[in-house]
Amino acid sequence: MKKIFIISLLAVAVTVVISCSDIKRKPGRVYMPDMAYSRAYETYSVTEQDREELEKKGIHYSNIPVPGTIKRGELFPFALAKDKDGDSTNYVASKQIHNPLPALDSVHAVEAERLFLVNCGICHGSKLDGNGPLYKGGEGPFPAKPAQLVGDAKYESMPEGQMFYSITYGKNKMGSYASQLDSRQRWMVIQYIKSKQSAGKASAAGSDSTATAKK
Amino acid sequence: MHYLRLIARNLFLSILLLTVISAGNSLMAQDGKALFQSNCASCHNPIKVVTGPALKGVTDRVPDSKLLHAWIKNNAAVLATGNKYFTDLYNQYNKTSMNLFPNLSDAEIDAILKYVNSYQAPTAENGGGGATATQTESDNSLLYGILTIILAVIMLTLLQVNSNLRKLSDDKEGIPAAEPIPFYRNKSYITLVILLLFVVGGYYLVQGAIGLGRTKNYQPEQPIFYSHKVHAGINQISCLYCHGGAWESKHAAVPSLNVCMNCHAAINEYSGKEKLYREDGEEVDGTQEIQKLYSYTGYDPKSGKYTQPGKPIQWIKIHNLPDHVFFSHAQHIRAGKVQCQTCHGPIQEMNEVKQFAELSMGWCINCHRTTKVDFPDSTGNNGNKFYSIYEKFHKDIKAGDSITVEKIGGTECQKCHY
Repeated sequence: MKKIFIISLLAVAVTVVISCSDIKRKPGRVYMPDMAYSRAYETYSVTEQDREELEKKGIHYSNIPVPGTIKRGELFPFALAKDKDGDSTNYVASKQIHNPLPALDSVHAVEAERLFLVNCGICHGSKLDGNGPLYKGGEGPFPAKPAQLVGDAKYESMPEGQMFYSITYGKNKMGSYASQLDSRQRWMVIQYIKSKQSAGKASAAGSDSTATAKK
Repeated sequence: MHYLRLIARNLFLSILLLTVISAGNSLMAQDGKALFQSNCASCHNPIKVVTGPALKGVTDRVPDSKLLHAWIKNNAAVLATGNKYFTDLYNQYNKTSMNLFPNLSDAEIDAILKYVNSYQAPTAENGGGGATATQTESDNSLLYGILTIILAVIMLTLLQVNSNLRKLSDDKEGIPAAEPIPFYRNKSYITLVILLLFVVGGYYLVQGAIGLGRTKNYQPEQPIFYSHKVHAGINQISCLYCHGGAWESKHAAVPSLNVCMNCHAAINEYSGKEKLYREDGEEVDGTQEIQKLYSYTGYDPKSGKYTQPGKPIQWIKIHNLPDHVFFSHAQHIRAGKVQCQTCHGPIQEMNEVKQFAELSMGWCINCHRTTKVDFPDSTGNNGNKFYSIYEKFHKDIKAGDSITVEKIGGTECQKCHY
């Protein structure tokens, strides 16, 4: 009788130890839930159902801004709308639009490079060679080759306005970056690309001249 | 005169020879793959529909090679002749016109077509290196527990044997046996048990009370198996690409779905070499998870259009701070230059995100106490210029090298409670 008791106790202990999983799928208990979890509606905490109920009460929370809203400090909005499928009127017209920003100073140049590396480098490559980690010469997961911004005559001669159109509305398999970069940042990135392109041209010309000099 | 003519003829011949050789070289060096990647790959993939159709088997679909060559060189001219196949194709792809390639020679086009038709999808290697690594992580605590129980049983048996032996020897020597007391009324046993209960119970009680409201290691199952390891680790996407809010504001921000679709409009299957596993070892089909994203966004990968209305994904929030704590991501990563991994752990290795830090007040305070402020150096270039205001304090306190965040107000109550 005693033996059976001891053995069963051991078995229970072992199963308890084994069945304790260390994956924590529940957050656990808190002292005061109304203090730990905000009573106010915080960003992202409003579900669709909550939003409907709030709207019934006349509370409009985390809605899309009214069309035409311009945030403080934002540049004057881009005049061209997105082309419909199969139409390229505005894409062509965007060539005429000029960059409203002054030339990059050293502080803004650093910021523009950061913006490019964070948002664009992943596809277009940190060297702007169209071979970022997502493409990797065809080995990466992205099925299309991203534009080679330095060294391809098409992009070197592309006007800044047309680049702005492509970043704002997307082009081919590239999506719109208007939600990640505000218009000032988009122009800064374009200035960065243009500066790299002219630097690339200068270095190419430089290497050519040295090559001829050697001959 | 004759001499000059000879030189001219030699020069002409050698130039001719050179051009012939170089032309021959360029013909031989026609690498279909390189040509494809430099001319076609920005819109076409051999086996996937991108901006334009998948190209493998195009010579079967358009058997007339003359027509195909004409199309590739100048598609606008072919469209103008009203060819039915190409007109339908043009309409099917939203009337996106293909670039003109008048400079491609017939031999180059043939090399491209040969490459496209012989293209094989890179096969996923079933190495499973990651899986074995996670499963071989052994946990020794179970072993120690069993050993402890065995030792305790042995100890109890030996005690029993000892008392029996003593009883036997007492009987033999004729010493009258004392009234046997059962162990549950033995005072020393009872004291020992009470002490043990007090220590063990007290330990767990205190730990449990401290742990209330702390969600360290919280790892909920999210609506979509989004692997930070695949995105931030293997594919090296910057944290700020999706969580750009961390640079600008208090919140790191969960990206809206259009950010996902920047890449996933084109990447519609998981082709990584490494298999994906949930924390409990269940295998995950990455392609299926991308399909879930399409069901939320209402995207139809076949036509490449949004056919359904989108709805947001209700991700489960892991890191929660109570209302009475103010925490700003921007302050920490821009002014403090703290890496994401300092608080979020090796996020680029996590398939499923779990809370790495305790997020307790002591944890915050400890970091503020020990983190040294990165002042600009004498040139004023390196270091963190945010703190140049404090340089004065730095110089005032001549001891100099032990200025912590606490010293410049990092543990003021109102930094967090206001």
